[in-house]
Amino acid sequence: MNRQEAENILKRTFDIDRFYNKQWGTIEKILKGERVLLIEKTGFGKSLCFQFPAIMFKGTTIIFSPLIALMRDQVKNLNSLGIAAKCINSEQTPEENSQIMSEAKEGKLKILYIAPERQENSEWIEATRQMSLSMVVVDEAHCISVWGHDFRPSFRRILNLVNLLPKGMPVLATTATATKKVEADIAQQMGGNLTIIRGNLMRENFRLFVIKVNSEDEKLIWLGKNLSKLPGSGILYTGTRVDTEIYSKWFEYLKISSIGYNAGLDPDSRIAIENGLMKNQWKCVISTNALGMGIDKPDIRFIIHTQIPQSPVHYYQEIGRAGRDGEPADIILFYNPEDRDLPEAFIEGGRPAIPKYEKVIEAVKSELLGERELMRRTNLKQTQIRVIKADLVEQKIIREVTIDRSKKFEYITGAPKLNPKAFEELRALKTADLEKMIGYVETTGSRMKYLCNFLGDSDNRFFKNCDNTGLQKLKVAITPDWTEKLQAYRENYFPELKVETKGSNLVNGVAASYYGVSNVGAAIHRSKYENGGDFPDFLLRFTLKAFRKKFGQEKFDMILYIPPTKSGELVKNFAIKISQVLKIPISHNLRKQRQTSEQKVFENSYLKADNVRDAFTYNNPTEIEDKSILLIDDIFDSGATVKEIGRYLINSGAKKIAPLVIAKTVGGDLT
Amino acid sequence: MNKDAAYWIALAHLPRWGRLKINNLIIKFYHKNKLTPEDFFQLSVNDWKNNYDLEYKEIEDLEKAKSELANSAFLAESLLNEGYEIIPITSSEYSKTLKDNLKVAHAPALLYVKGNRQIMQEKSIAIVGSRNTSEISLRFTDNIAKLASKEYKVIVSGFAKGVDKQALDSAIKYKGQSIIVLPQGIMTFGSGYKKYYKQIIDGDVLVLSTFHPKAPWKVELAMARNPIIYGLAAEIYVAESSDKGGTWSGVIDGLRKNRKIFVRKPEESEKNANHLLIQKGAIPIDFNGKTIKDYVPVENKDLFSSMNEPMADYEKKIIDFLRNGEYAVKDIIKKFNLNISEKKLRDFLKSHKEVEILNKKPLRFTLKRNIEQQKRLFDQ
Repeated sequence: MNRQEAENILKRTFDIDRFYNKQWGTIEKILKGERVLLIEKTGFGKSLCFQFPAIMFKGTTIIFSPLIALMRDQVKNLNSLGIAAKCINSEQTPEENSQIMSEAKEGKLKILYIAPERQENSEWIEATRQMSLSMVVVDEAHCISVWGHDFRPSFRRILNLVNLLPKGMPVLATTATATKKVEADIAQQMGGNLTIIRGNLMRENFRLFVIKVNSEDEKLIWLGKNLSKLPGSGILYTGTRVDTEIYSKWFEYLKISSIGYNAGLDPDSRIAIENGLMKNQWKCVISTNALGMGIDKPDIRFIIHTQIPQSPVHYYQEIGRAGRDGEPADIILFYNPEDRDLPEAFIEGGRPAIPKYEKVIEAVKSELLGERELMRRTNLKQTQIRVIKADLVEQKIIREVTIDRSKKFEYITGAPKLNPKAFEELRALKTADLEKMIGYVETTGSRMKYLCNFLGDSDNRFFKNCDNTGLQKLKVAITPDWTEKLQAYRENYFPELKVETKGSNLVNGVAASYYGVSNVGAAIHRSKYENGGDFPDFLLRFTLKAFRKKFGQEKFDMILYIPPTKSGELVKNFAIKISQVLKIPISHNLRKQRQTSEQKVFENSYLKADNVRDAFTYNNPTEIEDKSILLIDDIFDSGATVKEIGRYLINSGAKKIAPLVIAKTVGGDLT
Repeated sequence: MNKDAAYWIALAHLPRWGRLKINNLIIKFYHKNKLTPEDFFQLSVNDWKNNYDLEYKEIEDLEKAKSELANSAFLAESLLNEGYEIIPITSSEYSKTLKDNLKVAHAPALLYVKGNRQIMQEKSIAIVGSRNTSEISLRFTDNIAKLASKEYKVIVSGFAKGVDKQALDSAIKYKGQSIIVLPQGIMTFGSGYKKYYKQIIDGDVLVLSTFHPKAPWKVELAMARNPIIYGLAAEIYVAESSDKGGTWSGVIDGLRKNRKIFVRKPEESEKNANHLLIQKGAIPIDFNGKTIKDYVPVENKDLFSSMNEPMADYEKKIIDFLRNGEYAVKDIIKKFNLNISEKKLRDFLKSHKEVEILNKKPLRFTLKRNIEQQKRLFDQ
């Protein structure tokens, strides 16, 4: 097929007049059964490079993509063009996914999108035996490389698959962000006979700004004043989930239309927010970087970071989602010198200590274990287990196997010793990348050029699209009215304690503050661990305020408090004071019937739940029957204790149980 | 070698080709023409026709296999990722014992394994026998496994009940090494891996299969597996055999191939076909595996073939009879003048894999049509 013929089909099928030269160059090779790595910026039209050949081939094209939102978007577009495309992903029911596999087996699909993790699924592997396969596409191919900003172990398997595919089977790997090092790594791993096509990564329509600040308050105030004035709608990226909550409540307080998003939301809420974003339902979506990868929205008009990303690649990737239509887009980065602490902590603390690795290796050596069993055996957090697991798989010390449909970790016979040097290398690289990112803040030259250089772009044009090269610098001006507004907001914002489950009498409660975010944590610590006496009165005031905000005039029949692990009357005295103010009777009948350990000793929620299971009892249970109970404690962490007591009280006939605490920790072990 | 996994899987399972034909093809392209499997599959149809003397039908098979290579790649990735390995017949890791014993006509083109591959290079013995076996046979098995383990010989067994299982358990007990030869695909041994996890990762057990990795257990596979057990072993020890079934046909086949086969000399009270095997050329041994020099052949009339299985004497006849139509237990007892209860016969027929139960009053039994070819082997 020559280019003219192809473009005739292109016009008929996609209603696009012609290919870019680089698109055609890629497609030509794919049609001949060759392998191509295509590095092009967002908005270039990489997907056409596989979608077009896919409809030319007889069988089904499999596209591995880590981005569910992208799959959904592309499938919708393809279907509207009359092309048979579907996706298999974890947000669909198993029945839906099975149905799609059947359609693929019957040859009814031209294009099938699938997450790389699916390669672990035996039903999928079984189904592939009966499909007619015509091409394999690896989207976001930078995830193959540990040197990339988003290495994903499941991509290792896709790479192994690619290396097993027969000669003559076309393979296309695409990415918008690969440094030269990552490019070389991908190429080396994909083996010989690979053509690399790299485009230039400049985005002329970006307007890049850096706002240097000295506190979190300055960020909140600048945004409060200016967010509404920015053209169009966009995304605000924060560093943590808690921050998405704090910022979105701030905007809510200011009546700026916005919504918070994070990976912890359920799929329905996530889809609803993604759809709302597409329709410009809000001025701004506030999110961790979980949002936006692969969202095909052409007119995101601004992207703001309140937290400096880990590296210029992360940053380029995240801002790359703006202005795909080529119209101007504002790209703003806040930087407070303290902000480097978070990525630094991530780099330093991202890896568990070596003895924890040894612990996992020993456990796996003696027994075939699943993740949960491993968490119990080792008392490690899920997040840590996952990091360790990925590293040990990478170092070929353990492997993940499926036995009777459940995943287990298996020690590899004759495995090498753990090599901590590999972690050191990676840590050094990441630290260097973070310095480069801070270099972006400090540079006096073109910021666009700075990013492109980092990514290995060889383009030498000059751009006047940042606050160093012609655009007005943005500055924060603090005025007393705004300081007051922020203060008022702070004093009226209380974190929710999410303990509700369907059909249970345990309802969501409230905390006066986050532990560690304000002076609340320090005050608790003084009383608890430094013999500071009773919790100070301002904690009582805060807690009562939180109570009133959350529960208003709701009626409670009695107050209970959680009996302490170690002797101490802090919580008891605190609860008595609350009881006095609220005029709700207090009972001291909730007791421990056996010794428990302090919950903080346990690193994961399975062990925390084990620690408190059946640990509590109530002296005169008939008192509880049909009562609404306010349950008081000082700190709320995983919620395991509250849930256990809730369960016990419900069994004893309680009507409603609501937790009220002074502080909620940030994180929790399963996030 | 793993790079070529998809090609090897395609070659090894060419439908209805038979091992000789597959091996001859491999010899030709790999050893004679120095081509990798990848190169071979890149050849044109004309090359296949002219240089490999392949017929139209065979070329069609190869073309089909070629079109399914990508599918095999998906399977291979999943296989390798789970820690299974493939060992093609061209590999230096392929068991030399197996190759020598089975030769080009019978050696499988591809072995699927999990565990310590090195075990295949060690000296090895197989201990075989029936599923339903006597106490003495199990003790004999245990003893032979003990002696072999002491001499660092690997015990090959088939993971069936009775002697097989005893051989494996004893090898583990005496800290010896074992090869488990599966009657199924390597990826379908789920709970077995859990059970022998420690032995596998410690390098004491190798699990091996020659079938398609996803193939479920089947009578045919159990039968086809027996020659692999015999092939993997330098010496074969028979604990107990009836005059039919897997052990019997395996030993007979081995004797035909001039293998040295040691059979335990049974006690006088035992009812089995061990004497019969010895008379057919197997070597009589005692409890400690020592050859009995002064073996005195037993008179033909004293050669018992029945074992501790119900109906063993009449099994074959009854099953043959069922081929003629549908019968109730009463008819069968009458026909053969059997001295057993109706319930016992009914239970036996119900438990028999080849018998189909027809839900009539009274219950009728007949032979399942599609498995007739297996009938002589039904001990397995």
